[in-house]
Amino acid sequence: MLILRPSRIADLPEVVRIAEASAIGITSLPPDRDKLYDKIRQSVESFEPDRDVSGEETYFFVLEDAATGRLMGTSGITAEAGFHDRFYSYRNETIVHASQELAVSNRIHALHLCHDLTGYALLTSFWIDPSLYDTEWPQLLSRGRLLFLREYSQRFGDKIAAENPGVCDEQGRSPFWDAVGRRFFNMDYPQAERLSGGRSKTFIAELMPHYPIYVPLLPAEAKLAIGQLHPVAELPFSILLAEGFDADTYIDIFDGGPTVEARISMLRSIAKQRRLQVTVAPDDVAAGRPHLISNVSADGFRATIATLKVERDSPVLLPPAIATTLGVESGDAVRVVPL
Amino acid sequence: MTTTMLLRPIALSDLPALIELVGRAGVGLTTLPPNQIELRKRIEASEATFAGTTDPRDGLYLFVLLEVSAAAPAGKLAGICGVAPAVGLRQPWYSYRVGQVVHASQELNIFTQTPTLFLSNDHTGHSELCSLFLDPAYRKDKNGVLLSKSRLLFLAQHRGHFADRVIAELRGVTDANGKSPFWESLGRHFFSMEFAHADYLTGIGKKSFVAELMPKHPLYTSFLTPEAQAVIGVTHELTRPAQAMLASEGFRFAGHVDIFDAGPVVEAVVDDIGAVKASRLVPARIVDLPNADGVAHLVSNTHYGDFRASLVTLPTGTQACPLTAEVAALLKVKDGEDVRVAPLSTRDR
Repeated sequence: MLILRPSRIADLPEVVRIAEASAIGITSLPPDRDKLYDKIRQSVESFEPDRDVSGEETYFFVLEDAATGRLMGTSGITAEAGFHDRFYSYRNETIVHASQELAVSNRIHALHLCHDLTGYALLTSFWIDPSLYDTEWPQLLSRGRLLFLREYSQRFGDKIAAENPGVCDEQGRSPFWDAVGRRFFNMDYPQAERLSGGRSKTFIAELMPHYPIYVPLLPAEAKLAIGQLHPVAELPFSILLAEGFDADTYIDIFDGGPTVEARISMLRSIAKQRRLQVTVAPDDVAAGRPHLISNVSADGFRATIATLKVERDSPVLLPPAIATTLGVESGDAVRVVPL
Repeated sequence: MTTTMLLRPIALSDLPALIELVGRAGVGLTTLPPNQIELRKRIEASEATFAGTTDPRDGLYLFVLLEVSAAAPAGKLAGICGVAPAVGLRQPWYSYRVGQVVHASQELNIFTQTPTLFLSNDHTGHSELCSLFLDPAYRKDKNGVLLSKSRLLFLAQHRGHFADRVIAELRGVTDANGKSPFWESLGRHFFSMEFAHADYLTGIGKKSFVAELMPKHPLYTSFLTPEAQAVIGVTHELTRPAQAMLASEGFRFAGHVDIFDAGPVVEAVVDDIGAVKASRLVPARIVDLPNADGVAHLVSNTHYGDFRASLVTLPTGTQACPLTAEVAALLKVKDGEDVRVAPLSTRDR
């Protein structure tokens, strides 16, 4: 059984291993021990139950194999994208250039540098061990976050976004970057990405083009990269799409990857989850459907997947092993959502 | 009868010869489309402007250069030129202003200067020198400068009809097939037409329609092809002499280019134009033999609708303008009447 829980300082060596294995494009997982240490420390502080929340919080989860203690994945939530600063994206726009007189009507695709997603909650840091791709565990790693988000909804705004890596080659060369950012940065993509990774993105404001970019003027390769997902991220991306995230409006300013966004209340897992009381069963429960289930603790947050029989307004009957894993007793609350 | 090159306002009777002349100009002579109906409209607009029966916002002064000789006493059409008293007051007048943005970060040790193009209406209300074309067979004997500069005497003489600033659009670079690298890189994406057709639409007064299809946001020049970037503000090879001539009179490129072919727009303050400043009024003197001493001068009468100009050899600083009866008749001046003179070459001023 795998469980989703907040990361601890003791996870650092495992998290470093994961960051080194993760692909380029996951800027929230820099393969840098000091940065990862800071990331975990900030997360530990953020999960504190009586924390006076400011929007600065970053929540970093790990997926742990309960049997071995080995970490099989990571995921995160940033409370407010661009906190203390602005969060930059390119917004896809259509400008219609039309003239009745000349019988011409052209729809011109343009990219508009914007701060629209500033203050959105941000899903980050998704990485899962490739051996688990074809299992249900990626669902836990990605959607388990949403149960936390729902329980602590006062810590977040109404809207949520997630960046997804755009296309690049094996050397990390991004056609979108080469056509756009490079003209203004004079450095290659991995270098620029590193610079933005563990730190504020303020400097981007001064360096990226502020006027809209007319897409027809870009080279064909760069055009194709707009909103194009890196194949490595197909799995987490498909989970987000199934949740109801919209991938059509925003792209990453560096690599053109799709930045998805949604209203939190409209997400499938948020809409379908329930907060129910627990009754711990004397032994294993036979029938039911697989569910994501979490406790309602902050720093003691735990989530996993269990086969449960969930009925409206009646306590959920929990097998003892699951109750132990989640640290709940009869009478405690949990959140459940069908897998 | 000697041969004299004479400039006068255009008349409808010039239409057949004009059609023939313009047919030889090819792409790039935007303001003179090879279209009989349009050319007729131009001539009628000019006649109405001289007659004072048109709204100044629609004004257009067109002049023709004629070779007057015994064989052709009414004159043979050699060239055409024009002045618009004010542009952009009826339809918006567009140009790109070449600018730059600096993207800098001390922290990251980055400093990049990126050239930009801003769509502007900056020249709205300015006067414009336009429609210059000289028959290749007449590109000799100072005809080109006479044709272009005699307009400046008209400007000086009828200053109140013009704005304080005057511009001239110079033809941008096109290849042998009439393709403009700038258009191919920019305009083409926003239309579905060839440069020649856009140019033609401009010529028949639809430039603002075309312009409204152009990108309104500032453009980063670096997104254009290297070929397009290379021709921004560059004059077509065949237009370089005209540019040199205008430059000698004080016209300067001030960072505006044509929105279609990126040819430079040069501009001057009317009162600072060399020929305007150097021109003086002196009395005409009818003489038997043409004066042979001195240097070539632009000479014009002071009339409006009957404006005439030509080249006469005069001593520099002359206090009078000796003219043979024949030339005086062509210029429509009487003995003792003031004429406006200016040394043709800036060296002689």
